[in-house]
Amino acid sequence: MAQQNTFGYTAAEREKAFIALYQQAFPAVAKYVSKMGGSFDEAKDVFQDALVSHYERSATTALELKIDEKAYLFGIAKNLWAKKFRENVLHSHVDTFETDLVDEIDAQPSGGKLMHYLETAGQKCMEMLKAFYYDNLPVKTIAGLFGFSGERSATVQRSLTYEDFLE
Amino acid sequence: MRTSLNEIKLIDGRIFNTNPPEDALLFDALLIINPELGQQLMWQQKAHAIVKQYSRKKLKAEIEAVHQELFHKPEYSSFRRRILGLFKKK
Repeated sequence: MAQQNTFGYTAAEREKAFIALYQQAFPAVAKYVSKMGGSFDEAKDVFQDALVSHYERSATTALELKIDEKAYLFGIAKNLWAKKFRENVLHSHVDTFETDLVDEIDAQPSGGKLMHYLETAGQKCMEMLKAFYYDNLPVKTIAGLFGFSGERSATVQRSLTYEDFLE
Repeated sequence: MRTSLNEIKLIDGRIFNTNPPEDALLFDALLIINPELGQQLMWQQKAHAIVKQYSRKKLKAEIEAVHQELFHKPEYSSFRRRILGLFKKK
């Protein structure tokens, strides 16, 4: 996995980045959805899913191309709008256009209970796995964020946490 | 039996396609002769899906908090008016 996350390393940095993107790109999306007869909540819904998609691509892609984020977000939101509200896929979210195992987990009766458990009892473990696998942060940064003495210590801790999680 | 850290690393490499070619070949050969490895791969894929689901939920909550900030804090009132003006009934 490449480490290209451009949204910052902390929640505060991400907040700043999302506010900027909202101000730059949401007006065009809202205008489009309004023109197509959609509501404010529908515009908000597709835009937020577009932000999630953009974040995930930014965190995992190896490409360093400087993209026009406003145009990129508008394109994703427009596609999502077409999918969700013009093809009657009312409950389609960003999850459905990326083939993964999330839907399978959602469908399992224990999925909700397991997620609730992980969000409470295993929160620190999940936050660390999120930083490593989802946010794709550099190990050195993860060490700093979670209070480890160095990269080696953070790598070992992440591996042990993951091993425990698999158990 | 606990999976070794090396196995976890190798399986992660398979899932994220980051194993060097020789490890990728070795892994494919091991998959054929060791059915347990296939099971382990499946569990590790599920674990990653759970991490992704958890992370996505957290990210969506952060984005929603930003939305609430922009549509409720006084310093963003002109932005708010501009957007809400687009949805006024004509």
